[in-house]
Amino acid sequence: MNMNLPSTTELGSQLITLMAALMLVVQLLMVVQRMLLTNIRLFAIQSLFLGGIAVVVAFVHHASHVYVIAGLTLIGKVVLLPRLLTRLVHRIQIHQEIEPLLNAPASMLVCGGLTLLGYVVARPFTSLERLGNNTLAVAITLLLTGFFLMINRRKAITQVLALLTIENGVMLAAVALTSYGMPLVVELGIFFDVMVAVMVLGILVYRIRESFASMDTSKLNQLKG
Amino acid sequence: MMLLASILIVPLSAGLLCLLVQSRRVMQGLNVFAFAATLALGVCLLPEVLAHGAVEEWDEFLRADALSAFMVLLISVVSLATSLYAGRYFERDLAANAVTPGRVREFFVLTPLFATGMFLVVLANNLGVMWAAVEGTALTSVLLVALYNRRTSLEAAWKYVMLGSLGLALALFGTVLLYAAASKDQAERLPSFNWSHLMSVAPELDPRLVKLAFAFALVGYGTKAGLAPMHTWLPDAHSEAPSPTSAMLSGVSLKIALYALLRFHILTTACVDSAFSRHLLLGFGLISMFLAVPFILVQQNLKRMLAYSSLEHVGLICAGIAMNTSLTIFGALLHMGYHALTKPVLFFAAGNIHQTFHTLEFRLIGPGVVKVLPVTVLLMGLAALAAAGLPPFGLFFSELTVISGGIAAGKVTVSVLVLVALIACFCGILQQLTRILLGATKREPASDARPTDGLAAMALLLGALLVFSVWLPSPLLELMRQAAGIIGGKQ
Repeated sequence: MNMNLPSTTELGSQLITLMAALMLVVQLLMVVQRMLLTNIRLFAIQSLFLGGIAVVVAFVHHASHVYVIAGLTLIGKVVLLPRLLTRLVHRIQIHQEIEPLLNAPASMLVCGGLTLLGYVVARPFTSLERLGNNTLAVAITLLLTGFFLMINRRKAITQVLALLTIENGVMLAAVALTSYGMPLVVELGIFFDVMVAVMVLGILVYRIRESFASMDTSKLNQLKG
Repeated sequence: MMLLASILIVPLSAGLLCLLVQSRRVMQGLNVFAFAATLALGVCLLPEVLAHGAVEEWDEFLRADALSAFMVLLISVVSLATSLYAGRYFERDLAANAVTPGRVREFFVLTPLFATGMFLVVLANNLGVMWAAVEGTALTSVLLVALYNRRTSLEAAWKYVMLGSLGLALALFGTVLLYAAASKDQAERLPSFNWSHLMSVAPELDPRLVKLAFAFALVGYGTKAGLAPMHTWLPDAHSEAPSPTSAMLSGVSLKIALYALLRFHILTTACVDSAFSRHLLLGFGLISMFLAVPFILVQQNLKRMLAYSSLEHVGLICAGIAMNTSLTIFGALLHMGYHALTKPVLFFAAGNIHQTFHTLEFRLIGPGVVKVLPVTVLLMGLAALAAAGLPPFGLFFSELTVISGGIAAGKVTVSVLVLVALIACFCGILQQLTRILLGATKREPASDARPTDGLAAMALLLGALLVFSVWLPSPLLELMRQAAGIIGGKQ
């Protein structure tokens, strides 16, 4: 049994690295994907990997509270939030196609640069990572590309999606840097906040759509000085 | 007695009860009662904190030291005045068809929840819970900002929630980094993320991680506190929100975010040394002060000008804390308190002017408001003199304390810079307000003037300001001295 333990940790660490890398791949797919509903599905897939990482952490460390976190991620971010957003998209009947400011190749180039930056920034801290290599770098990259997604898109609902991917990045950092993620009460608070945030944002998107007959946030430009 | 828990439960249940009742009068009554109760509880908390240093409840989940007790008092007073003012304000809005009854109910439900969030920020022992509570205040207040459902208020709300959430995502990253620093060498069991525990192990934390965490927290909570250059949501949200909400946002919400930032500052000081976080705080504080000056001088909109004045005051508080002598920190705390008593009065008066003239543009309000709304103008004038920093009001003494403390500690350059910014803002605010308040009336009000609206709320705050300006009761003084000691790292 004792001989088995290191190999479980090793395997777990590799699994986490793999899933973190897949999260990054999904993020890059979101950057180039132009259809709104597909974007929402991609977010669900990214969250699925995050939940998977939490399951691995819980299994390797025999930490039961992390199973709760994994369950919340799976229920909340993989099922509920995408469903909520999809319903919102149908309800307000918007044009499906996202109109980014930069075209796909240019966006890809920018995100490549951001990934590089993420790795450079994370480098001094890689020795602190508990499980999996490069997870911190991936987390920072998710943060940076999330910012890019937010400024590159004008539709209000895509900005909400960008915010959610940033949050995924932070949660990945929480798993990568600490023994088993944050304490349960904090995770519950964060989970609750994210759910409420999406609801509040949904209400606002709906109202903006009603008053402006559009979801283009570049039309929100009356307040100055 | 469960003091801390009741401070959270009373406003929470008042907010939820407002969902059930139909009468607006009852809703307002519930709000007023809840905040009067929290004020009373806050006063009861005072001797407890002074006697024991810190009060803990619910298995150390809630914790109040002198700094939190001080913030509890501020939140209660401002919320109480807000709920006193809100009843008449919304009656008038309803009569003018500016809001629907459903939205007014939304206000009376969300305001206590907003306050509950703020109470949880200052009472939470766990820094992660503190983050979640700050996010909670952002989410409740954004719906309040969007209450009027005008195009401009939706724009303001969208900018507020986007910038706020981005900032708070960074603050969460900072929180995670701090937790990572705390969980060093404790792979077997879950380390505590409680403030009290972190402070006891602060010198052993990884300094690199703590510094990085502070940098993220500064940008994150700094956005919510309205520090320049992350302040761009602030004038929009303050000007588009209903006036009672503007008062809460400016009077306490900014300071709550600052409180969260201060907790990181204190930890960083205990772990590394104070220079790192102090220099950053000082830089952001001075930038905020100087950035506010031109915007106040050329501002065309009354509530936006008041918002920029808040930016300047937050900058001064940061600068005072950053100079890190016991005198300047004490001055900064005094300033926090006096500003919380002053700024809501100005926003209430601006609300009266808005409802009478149906605009906030200086040139459309025109000179001579004093003839139309004499009482409002008198109170607003007094509050403006106080906010500009004239004696005998407390803000004069707190500003003097900060500057003289700075000079006494040999920080002459910074003190002079602070003084220059203060004088510029002083001229700006008084010049802008005399333009509209005094003189002969040129424009007829758009709806009939009701000069005594909101008198109780404004008189309550101004009265408190005057009393506390000349006489600070000794328990309060001791509380603030202890709070200053906590910030200065001399526990």
